[in-house]
Amino acid sequence: MNNPYFPVPTVVKKALVETSDRMLRTLELRFLKDEDAQAFHFVPGQFCELSLLGKGEAPFGIASSPTENGSLKFTINKAGVVTTALHHIEEGAEVGIRGPLGNGYPIDLFQGKNVLVIGGGFAFTTLRSLVTYFLHPENRNKVKDITVIYGARTPGLLLYKEELAEWAKRSDIRLVVTVDQGDKDWKGKVGLVPNVLEEAAPAAENTYAVICGPPIMIKFTFPKLMALRFPNERIYTSLEKRMKCGIGKCGRCNIGHLYVCKDGPVFSYAQLEKLPRDY
Amino acid sequence: MPFLQSLMDEYDLFAPAQLAEGVSVYKKIDQTEEVDLSISNAQKPAKEIFFPQSETMFRYEKAGKESRITSTEEIKRNRILLGARPCDIQAFSLIDHVFAGKEYTDTYYVNKRKATTIIGMGCDHPLSTCFCSSLNGGPFQREGSDLFLIDLGESYLVELLTEKGMAFQKNKFFEEANEKEISLAKGVEGKAAEKIKAAIPVEGIEKRLDQMMESPYWDRVQEKCLGCRVCTYLCPTCHCFDIMDEARTNKGRRVRNWDSCLSSLYSQETSGHNPRPTNRERTRQRLMHKFNYFPKNFDRIACVGCGRCTLYCPAHFDIRQTIKEIQEGGDK
Amino acid sequence: MEQTHKAIQDSIREKAKELLSSKKVDVIVGFGEGTLPLRATPIFIRSQEEADRLIWNSYCENNLATYLYKLSQFKVGLVVKGCDARSVIALSREKRFKHDQLYLIGVPCQRMVDRRKVKKAVKGEILRVGEQGDEITVEGEDFKKVLKRDDFLYPSCQVCIHRTPAKADVLVGNPAEESPLVEVHPDVKDFEKMSPEERWRYFEKEAGRCIRCYACREACPMCYCTECFVDSSNPKWIDKGLSPSDVDFYHIVRAYHQSGRCSGCGACERACPMEIKLTYLTQKLNQDVKELFGFETGVDPDASPPLSTYDIEDRQEFIK
Repeated sequence: MNNPYFPVPTVVKKALVETSDRMLRTLELRFLKDEDAQAFHFVPGQFCELSLLGKGEAPFGIASSPTENGSLKFTINKAGVVTTALHHIEEGAEVGIRGPLGNGYPIDLFQGKNVLVIGGGFAFTTLRSLVTYFLHPENRNKVKDITVIYGARTPGLLLYKEELAEWAKRSDIRLVVTVDQGDKDWKGKVGLVPNVLEEAAPAAENTYAVICGPPIMIKFTFPKLMALRFPNERIYTSLEKRMKCGIGKCGRCNIGHLYVCKDGPVFSYAQLEKLPRDY
Repeated sequence: MPFLQSLMDEYDLFAPAQLAEGVSVYKKIDQTEEVDLSISNAQKPAKEIFFPQSETMFRYEKAGKESRITSTEEIKRNRILLGARPCDIQAFSLIDHVFAGKEYTDTYYVNKRKATTIIGMGCDHPLSTCFCSSLNGGPFQREGSDLFLIDLGESYLVELLTEKGMAFQKNKFFEEANEKEISLAKGVEGKAAEKIKAAIPVEGIEKRLDQMMESPYWDRVQEKCLGCRVCTYLCPTCHCFDIMDEARTNKGRRVRNWDSCLSSLYSQETSGHNPRPTNRERTRQRLMHKFNYFPKNFDRIACVGCGRCTLYCPAHFDIRQTIKEIQEGGDK
Repeated sequence: MEQTHKAIQDSIREKAKELLSSKKVDVIVGFGEGTLPLRATPIFIRSQEEADRLIWNSYCENNLATYLYKLSQFKVGLVVKGCDARSVIALSREKRFKHDQLYLIGVPCQRMVDRRKVKKAVKGEILRVGEQGDEITVEGEDFKKVLKRDDFLYPSCQVCIHRTPAKADVLVGNPAEESPLVEVHPDVKDFEKMSPEERWRYFEKEAGRCIRCYACREACPMCYCTECFVDSSNPKWIDKGLSPSDVDFYHIVRAYHQSGRCSGCGACERACPMEIKLTYLTQKLNQDVKELFGFETGVDPDASPPLSTYDIEDRQEFIK
């Protein structure tokens, strides 16, 4: 029987610090065994439990897209025991992986519709996966307009600066990158995400919105989406909650009768409305 | 007792045993003298046989950059659980929904379940705190047992109920029961059923609780709760756990330990945010989970009426009273 | 005994009503009737009408001071026995609450009955309990037995010489005669006779039943740390399983954390579902603190706890 608690070995192919405060580091992992790589199929929005033997496990959203063959990317925020250890390991180190876990974004629902992606700070990880997926030539035609609004506190704290530069050059995606506070080199937009959203005023008709960010950003952005007439069934988010097993057994991440790890982490606001405010 | 010894020769035997006067647990038996079938129910529930309080998930060894992981999921010898009561046995079927369900199988739990023959035992002297009959149970409920014992005083009546049970048909310690013995057993069973007088009103409690998420009732209910873990650890249906690594330089293990939603740090996130910051949210979570969330998923209430939480709570919380209060809308 | 209890009960109720009606307190924390024989339960009274739920009997065994941390924004009327009052004084020395926040309803204690010992004296479930004079009558389905109350008291109650709450705002009974029933705590007496190896085996046998439920810690008013050392993950002092070294470490360190702070109320031992003996450790430590530093927790509100106070006269012969 397949033991769902058993991590599968991967090795760190590349490690790169994303942000100026050095708190965010992206790891690129490659499966050690071919058969594990072959068996791993995921959709944007899913996550994995990364395991460092002796330190523990923690869940991370997959930042790479299924279209980027060969490697899996995870962006780690240095906060506790496991994440600090993941910041210290070097290329070539072994990391265990369990996954893919969770439900992922409902990309089937997005077919033929416009997609509005709103991200804040380091919550952009799985949004990178989603956008990269749809920008791939095989998938671009599956959706209509793609609008991405991404904000961070300062330019140094933006993730995936390379990808953002690439996306900015494209004509098949409307990208607005903003910061709360600029610096002397910053030539882009300055403004809070909720206000930038209001300004950009994307049409709500036939559009699905996906929003990931810190609670304070969501608190102020959500009313703007309402003002733009986005119905709850078409606003999706990825929830964070303390997790351990990642497979709906240990009970830690439950919200009402649902488990964030197994029934989420992606939920529509229509679903969240029916759940107790336990997150 | 030769019968017990014969079981131990062939199986790993798990049965109730006293650790001190008045304190018992279900454990792996090393000497037949340990087995004590006279107690009404052990403090620690029988779920421990399938879901140990502390369980190694795998061991690892690091050599340079490589590491080797050895799983501990294999069960080497078949097992017998002797003397579990119908309430604890019913709890297994509740935990099965989560651990042995359709999505992801908990290998450790399922392997033990498969390898174990359950010899249940009827309760001829239920306690006044027992209310199994209110929760689809009863002191002589056979469901979930492979064999079922009824204490006749000088002997036990054994009912062989399943295929695993029928394997004992030719056991040299069993003989065919006669009419007198069977009717004696019926008498014992009848008397016991009468004893559970209290009918705790659980009908419709799920719908009641749907309306009560923000009720001021939760402020009152949590007042005397100390926030310890006695009720969750002694509850036959509670199944939350924590996973941790224990490291000793290059070797170590990943282990899972029972955990409790009543612990203040249970849902604390690394950022410092805690969705259940006070005892109010935590006691609400426990009660909602048992009587609302679990039923939403599996159509069963996650309580078997064993009464342990009421018997052992240091602040003398009485779940029967809580259920009644909830059914009355939560006005205290 | 029951007359004393009834008189005390009436006084508590009267006082509670007075305090609530004059708004001197927001809530009264006391004891209410249990749903099982041999038990009482902590209750929180907020209105005069509810005050008649307050009771007093031989089963008021919890140390209600442990709830103070949850009630920091209220003015609390707290029902305390002698030991509980000592915990309150110890807490106030540790600046855990403001004085005008607390009104102590002091009950001179007649010593609490050990419900586990009573249970073990009969065969079968106890369904009814009564008290007449100095006797306890227990009844079950097919038995009725009369027990001598003094033979069935908690060990910590047997040695108690502070049954009358010091510094209570009101005393709802006559001060008790402060002489112990036994001179030395029965478990400490056994313990002191043992060799170090025997002591360790005794401790291991008791702690071996531990299920890490932390009932002892939560029942104790002095355990109020928001992050207990067992929960620390960085540094991780101990693991959370049942490995004997971790369990033993927890019990020994918790006992040591109580030195000079423990009032000997016994709430820890009574809370334990596995009936682990705990008071022998804390009582022995209390004895040692008394011998070494001449200090007893919560007796003199002005005395400084020796282990948390620096004094230039502190003995230093252990520094070589």
